[in-house]
Amino acid sequence: MQENYLAKWLNNELSEEELAEFKKSDEYTTYRKILEASGTLEGPDFNMDQAFTALKNKRELETPKVVQLHPFRKFLRVAAAIAVLMVTSYFYLNSLDENVSTQFAENKEVVLPDNSEIVLNADSEISYSEKAWDKERNIALRGEAFFKVAKGKRFTVSTDGGTVAVLGTQFNVENRNGFFEVTCYEGLVSVTFNGKETKLPAGDSFLAINGKIAKGKVVDISYPSWMSDESSFKSIPLQYVLDEFERQHNITVETKNIDLNQLYTGTFSNTNADLALQSISVPSQIKFKLEGNKVLFYAENAP
Amino acid sequence: MKTESQDNVCEEAVFSSLFKSNSKTVFNYIYYKFGNEEKAYDAVQEAFLKLWENCAKVSPEKAKSYVYTVANNLYLNVIKAEKVRLKYADKTLNSTNESPEFLMEENQFKQKLDQALASLPENQRTVFLLNRIDGKKYAEIAEMEGVSVKAIEKRMHLALKTLREQIDGV
Repeated sequence: MQENYLAKWLNNELSEEELAEFKKSDEYTTYRKILEASGTLEGPDFNMDQAFTALKNKRELETPKVVQLHPFRKFLRVAAAIAVLMVTSYFYLNSLDENVSTQFAENKEVVLPDNSEIVLNADSEISYSEKAWDKERNIALRGEAFFKVAKGKRFTVSTDGGTVAVLGTQFNVENRNGFFEVTCYEGLVSVTFNGKETKLPAGDSFLAINGKIAKGKVVDISYPSWMSDESSFKSIPLQYVLDEFERQHNITVETKNIDLNQLYTGTFSNTNADLALQSISVPSQIKFKLEGNKVLFYAENAP
Repeated sequence: MKTESQDNVCEEAVFSSLFKSNSKTVFNYIYYKFGNEEKAYDAVQEAFLKLWENCAKVSPEKAKSYVYTVANNLYLNVIKAEKVRLKYADKTLNSTNESPEFLMEENQFKQKLDQALASLPENQRTVFLLNRIDGKKYAEIAEMEGVSVKAIEKRMHLALKTLREQIDGV
């Protein structure tokens, strides 16, 4: 009898001899009966339609989940990118210094976080870090500004000309093209110029032109003249006077045959250009010709 | 285009026909193994759900063995086999001309067969019942179980032998 003959018999794969031999065996009757009985066997009920409907429902329940997940992930990606962008820009902007600047013929008042006040003269710029203000009161200045410093920690004004440090006072700093002037109106100001420190009591001023320290004027007013719309000069080279005129009136200045190093003492109006031109030209004995937005200064004896 | 759509299990028609021709067998297959109708029903749902989710990856030819594998793996080593209870189609009702003694004898035989079936090793019982109830060919069962036809024949042979020995009380 071949291997697994029972399985073969069930599958009608036995040869005739084998089948005949098998039929003669004692067990055959039982096998026959097992076959007959098991032929009438049935498994448990299975409702296919119901199962299919249930499956469809499940499929629908789960399909939207899969679809939903996708846009949500996309959204997450976008949201993450935006969040990163916002956080970095927040830190970046926070670390950026505050910047205030003025144009020609413009003044601006700035109140600092500690209620210190700064008044910017025309064509000037200050920058400071608002975030680090509690740690160090440090202002970078280009141009001219008047400072009214609230009492507190060391207050520093840095310019490319020199550094001014105070604890709480009122002072004016001007730094333009080699002209560096600090005037103290109240308290005590420390000016560091070329590594040399100078203490400046109220009413004194420190002046350096092209690196050379000149004698400062003694002021008897409590704030700079430009804040009352005037520009005052005491023995200042004409060059700087004309520059100041240009800034205050936004009028382009041209000169011809004029000694720009002659010293000028006087005051000109910051609001009335005609008056200011008179104030400059008469004491300096020069003439001027105003044409629209341009003024030409020329020597009196020139043709 | 037409052949392409027919080749895709994601097509509703293809999927539906796969379900119709295989779900009952998957159900029985798991039932024969573990004797739990509820689990068998769940296995059908799970297996075809998995097939639907992966419809793009499974070709229709592979779909059949895919669902059996999923259904089988689902409860592998997880549930303990319970007693398999099977019903008999009442074919005897029609033949009322049989003597009461014969009917009683037949009932006794069926009881013995029931007991013998329940005590069969799971893989032998599954093969035997798939063949006897679902009329599956050895080759088909081999595909479902992932073994050779010869191994199925062996199981079938042993199943019959064990059943006979149990019933005859050898």
